[in-house]
Amino acid sequence: MPIAVNTMDTHEDNNYFDENPDSTRVYSPCRLRCPVHVDVPGYVTAIAEGRFTDALEIILDRNPLPAVCGRICLRPCEDGCRRCNLDDPLAIAALKRSAADFGAYPIERPDAIRREKVAVVGSGPAGLTVAYDLAKFGFKVTLFEDKPKLGGMLRYGIPNYRLPDSALDKDIDYILSLGIEVKTDVRVGTDITLDELREQYNAVVITAGLQASRALPIPGADFGQVLAALPFLEAAASREPIAIGKRVVVVGGGNVAMDVARTARRLGATDVTLVCLESPEEMPASEHEVEEAQLEGITVNCSWGPREVVGNVGVVGLKVARCLSVFDADKRFAPTFDEREIKQFAADTVIFATGQGADVGDIGVELTPRGGIKADPDTLHTSIEDVYAAGDVVSGPTKVIDAIAAGHRASASVIRDLAGDASLLDDLNEEATTLGEVPELMQTKLEPRRRVQMERLEFYDAVRSFDEIEVGYTEYEAAREAQRCLGCTTGARLSREKCASCLTCIRVCPHQAPHMRMGGFLYFDPEACIACGACASQCPAQAITLEGHSEEEMSRRVEIALADAGPETILSFACAGTTELPYVRGDVRTLTVSCLLRASERLVLETLESGAKRVIFAGCAESTCRYPYARQLVHTRADKIRAALTELGMQDRFEVVGEVEEEDTVHLR
Amino acid sequence: MIVVRQKPLKEIVKAVAPYRRILLVGCNTCAAVSLAGGELEVDTLVQTLRLASSQEGTGSVFEGAVLQRQCEPEFIEKLEIDDCDALLSLGCGAGVALLADNVDIPVIPALDTMFIGSAKGLASWRAECSACGSCVLGETAGICPITRCAKGILNGPCGGVNDGMCELGDRECAWVLIHDRLAKLHREDEFETTHEPKDYSVKTKNPEWDAHARGGDR
Repeated sequence: MPIAVNTMDTHEDNNYFDENPDSTRVYSPCRLRCPVHVDVPGYVTAIAEGRFTDALEIILDRNPLPAVCGRICLRPCEDGCRRCNLDDPLAIAALKRSAADFGAYPIERPDAIRREKVAVVGSGPAGLTVAYDLAKFGFKVTLFEDKPKLGGMLRYGIPNYRLPDSALDKDIDYILSLGIEVKTDVRVGTDITLDELREQYNAVVITAGLQASRALPIPGADFGQVLAALPFLEAAASREPIAIGKRVVVVGGGNVAMDVARTARRLGATDVTLVCLESPEEMPASEHEVEEAQLEGITVNCSWGPREVVGNVGVVGLKVARCLSVFDADKRFAPTFDEREIKQFAADTVIFATGQGADVGDIGVELTPRGGIKADPDTLHTSIEDVYAAGDVVSGPTKVIDAIAAGHRASASVIRDLAGDASLLDDLNEEATTLGEVPELMQTKLEPRRRVQMERLEFYDAVRSFDEIEVGYTEYEAAREAQRCLGCTTGARLSREKCASCLTCIRVCPHQAPHMRMGGFLYFDPEACIACGACASQCPAQAITLEGHSEEEMSRRVEIALADAGPETILSFACAGTTELPYVRGDVRTLTVSCLLRASERLVLETLESGAKRVIFAGCAESTCRYPYARQLVHTRADKIRAALTELGMQDRFEVVGEVEEEDTVHLR
Repeated sequence: MIVVRQKPLKEIVKAVAPYRRILLVGCNTCAAVSLAGGELEVDTLVQTLRLASSQEGTGSVFEGAVLQRQCEPEFIEKLEIDDCDALLSLGCGAGVALLADNVDIPVIPALDTMFIGSAKGLASWRAECSACGSCVLGETAGICPITRCAKGILNGPCGGVNDGMCELGDRECAWVLIHDRLAKLHREDEFETTHEPKDYSVKTKNPEWDAHARGGDR
């Protein structure tokens, strides 16, 4: 019988990061849950180091609307955050906004490198995404919009206090800078037919959204003071005068109903009541939207079904009956009522926010029974060969980020058909796995850090105008919040070829991420890695790398920091975590790093060789340390650098400065 | 494992001073595990020497390479020396020697070879073996008196022991450790055995040794 020598240990199946080209890709939970799979840990890491422009570039790789999504995304990413079971999930959307606020959008040189022309019909999130992708690929893109301005529901549906025009325009201006032709006030189907478009363009993508409001067929619904949600919101967004009474009843339990109620409040209604079929638990509106509406003085009445708009010349109220249940056993919409329990809400104006429908009957493609456009779920082809459709007009009401995802799919499909490049579509269909919960050992070692609260208008102030409620993080607050990130999937990766099996990684890792198999083969458990970089910094064989960090990249950053350096220039490597950096006199360039371990001994010496008068390690302090164990290693490294420079007679060219008295400090960056 | 450590920087700078193109050669076996001769240390030393050279204005060029093991001719064959005029080896003595055997340019050691040792923890080792050529660990319960006793005596402890410590003050008395371990293993009576003087000539008779001719020199 052979002797079993290579007994594998129990973590055998856990080797996500093995260098196996066939293995499925691993995304952090936030990235996996994002419908467009934005590299969240990548941009959060950049923000943690104050690199907002880098962060913005990472976001724009997958999401052309960072300023928009940074404000109004329903953020499925945050529900997956592995900090959820430690304290609070990371404020991912708010960080995205800070990237758009403080980062510089790239300067594009529009250059249509291909002959093919594509028409995009509708300029909501899906249409903007299609135009962005196709223009980037080199097609000539024309964007058709029915309304006078671009943005679709982002402009005409979402109120300014949540998404100001200035933020939307920032994203749109960038997208248009790719060289996209725009035709507004053109309704396809009426002003120009689909066939005419098909003659002029190689492909047509319809992203018309859901433009029709659904009203309830109840008595009194035709009174003058009974309004539909979308025209109401559009008029408010266009700053057109709208006559509403002091008492407004809004019917509906979704986010649109909340927008309508809060808009009515800002237009002067003092008594706004919201009535919906669903119980508080069933309401489709997101919890914080409901909460904010209530804080603005809106009364929410659940489990009531509208029966009649009561009135004579004008509206006097809405009569409702008790709703017993909304859905049947098969979870289909089939409300039941107790007609004996009747109530009347007094109202001067009633606004229905009870669903939206597509309004594309005149375009001429095959529709679904619900009136949307029928499209292949994989390629988004419609019934007409060269016509594609994407977004809510295909899927029914979804989130903005879902519409962006659909836009990517449509453009990938167009690129495959027109340019013969299927790689983008294949990439969208590739599966990914993710990490599980934070292991127990790690939980005990991580200090709880609550989310950095964002400054916002007080609600009594907010209802007086359409000013944006959320003020946004400052650069400093954004960096602090980003530093809470656990860096899922950005941690250690091992090159088997280079590994000398020295076990140093096992000895320095505070979370027991590295494991050893019999035979001395190492592997890393990504669930236990917070990307502190301790192992990578100590690995003598340089077999361990961190995602998003390399010596080459650090050298490049040093080069940028030292641009036009003089003989007196000092380079300060500053820990991003510290609240206060010591003041150093002279020409000091600061390079912020998530941990000083990222500044290797080699890098420090290289910086000195390339002309820096002195290198400073700043802000490595116990009180603000994210990676307590790494701190010890930073100090060991500083000692080694000091010893080497002393032997070379250059002891005055390196210095470690810690925390100093408050009055002697400057702000981060 | 063979434990090595870097020589004082001043010594290295002085030794490479006469040469203009120097290739630093690391070793990804013992020297890497000793945290003194892997890619990290090669890159760091290359950069240190570049800095020193730019300070002095010598214009010397430093590059780095790492071999899997410097003590094997087959690995050395892979080394591209190009137009270097000296090699700086970050390997143990065997690596330096075999490199020097295989190239026609000077080979300078950057490390000192310390001992055959075991790992105690992060960046920490203990000398365990002096490669004496006739092992006594079987009689001494796995604790080498040649290595761990300051005098290397075969019948200890000597009169310098004080409360379990060697009179040098930097280590425990190897013979007290041997006694305690033997006692723990119920082999106390073996402590009475007097060891004959070792025949150190087995190590010096012929420095070349061939497994196929094993036993010939014993």
